[in-house]
Amino acid sequence: MLEAVLLFREALYGSLIIAVTCAVLGVYVVLRRIVFVGAALAQVSSAGIALAFWLAGHGIATALASHPEALSLAATLGSVMFFARPLRGPVPPDARIGVWYAVAAAAGILLIAKAAVGEAHDIFLEGNILGITNSDTLELLVVCTPVLVALFAFQKELLFTSFDRDTARTLGYHVDLWDLGFYLVLGVVISISMQFAGVLLVFNFLVLPAVTGLLLAGGMASTFVFSLGSALLAAMVGFALSIRFDLPTGPSMIAVSGALVILAWLVRRVQKRA
Amino acid sequence: MTALVSFRDATLGYGRHAVLRGFNLDIMDGDFLGIVGPNGSGKTTILKTFLGSLRPMGGTVTVAPGLRFGYVPQRDVVDTLFPLHVLEVVLMGRYDRIGLGRRPSATDRELARKALERVGISHLADRPLNALSGGQRQRTLIARALVGEPNVLVLDEPTNGMDLVATTQILGLVRDLHERTGLTVVMVSHALNEVANYVERIALVHEGGYVVGFVEEVMTQQALSAMYGIPVEVSSFEGHRIVLAKRQQTGEHRHA
Repeated sequence: MLEAVLLFREALYGSLIIAVTCAVLGVYVVLRRIVFVGAALAQVSSAGIALAFWLAGHGIATALASHPEALSLAATLGSVMFFARPLRGPVPPDARIGVWYAVAAAAGILLIAKAAVGEAHDIFLEGNILGITNSDTLELLVVCTPVLVALFAFQKELLFTSFDRDTARTLGYHVDLWDLGFYLVLGVVISISMQFAGVLLVFNFLVLPAVTGLLLAGGMASTFVFSLGSALLAAMVGFALSIRFDLPTGPSMIAVSGALVILAWLVRRVQKRA
Repeated sequence: MTALVSFRDATLGYGRHAVLRGFNLDIMDGDFLGIVGPNGSGKTTILKTFLGSLRPMGGTVTVAPGLRFGYVPQRDVVDTLFPLHVLEVVLMGRYDRIGLGRRPSATDRELARKALERVGISHLADRPLNALSGGQRQRTLIARALVGEPNVLVLDEPTNGMDLVATTQILGLVRDLHERTGLTVVMVSHALNEVANYVERIALVHEGGYVVGFVEEVMTQQALSAMYGIPVEVSSFEGHRIVLAKRQQTGEHRHA
């Protein structure tokens, strides 16, 4: 097993970077109640990859075949501009996000089905965590390190503008700009992580560790610690289980994340009774 | 007294929908003003306009330079999903003074504890916000507004959803803060009976109209009946004003 772990060590490093970054962002995603936005952005990102292959397969922009993340990033950031705006009108915001999600998911499937090089690249929509190379790990580090530094440095501002927008505004905070910045960071992380981890695993790391953190923690700082800890544990244990039992890696990590949520819920129940 | 905020012939509203037209009001230094009216009458629109969240659609709204507001939002706007402790919430009132990317200092924490003392809940500093009662949560939000050392304390429906005891305590606390320090206070509420016994001046808004004056000028049978368009009685009990809408017979009752 050790040989297999060494063989796929880049995959483990990559998974850990994605897990850590999404786990920190995820605390804000869950607390801001924008989980569905995370899911929709992941779908848009995958649709961007599918569009890149469709265009490349039809000879329209062949360079996109080797860099589908460019179109994925553009589509995700475009959607961010939509989600970051306060929405008014007869259609509730979550319904609009639902429309975005369904259309992006269907577009991704249809485009990949008709892409000349489509079948071979289904893996990009589902993710291929074991295929992460050394240069992929570096790419993830280059994107995720500044994101984590920014999230730590501006934790106070992000917390305030997420927790009480009106009061933050009266103290001179440009809440809409902070929102836009947060959504842009979220879009970039989802888009970059998506091409390696796939929609489901990115969504998992954005939501489940944060939920575990909220169930176990008694304060903001400990929520981040538990979220990070559970994401790292899920990535490592899921990775080891997938190799030991020859299971798909992404779903193994998600299964461990789910088990940790259940465990956290049980711990909370016991604590409450005590 | 100098005017800290002035509305002059202002049209206030959202988007293209004007809620109030030709609105004039001065909020004076040392004022204790209640902005009172039913839901949808425009009282929150007035508040949001002078706080800078909304632009006036017409006329002018002038805010004295360097004026600092201590805003207390409606209690249920604050999200209790956030696992925050009372002291952390109060510290938010100093975030803009602390500066971008910096952490609160020991002095900031000390000031936050003093603000909690002023509102009588210093013993709750380390308790989770979501474990507090409605009244305690409201005191936390008032402490957060005070810790920023504001010129004007602005409270949006501070007693909404509270029981009689908590309502009396919160309004008493706000009045006490005003009387002890001369702090300018603006309080928005739909509960005329509650506010009228604590504030010094009232701006009463109703269906596009408004009347501003000292409590004894506004709280008269004539003024209130004209404002609400129904017969209103103003009684007094041990120095407390009580406003009663006179019982009106419905068509159904008349036929019974």
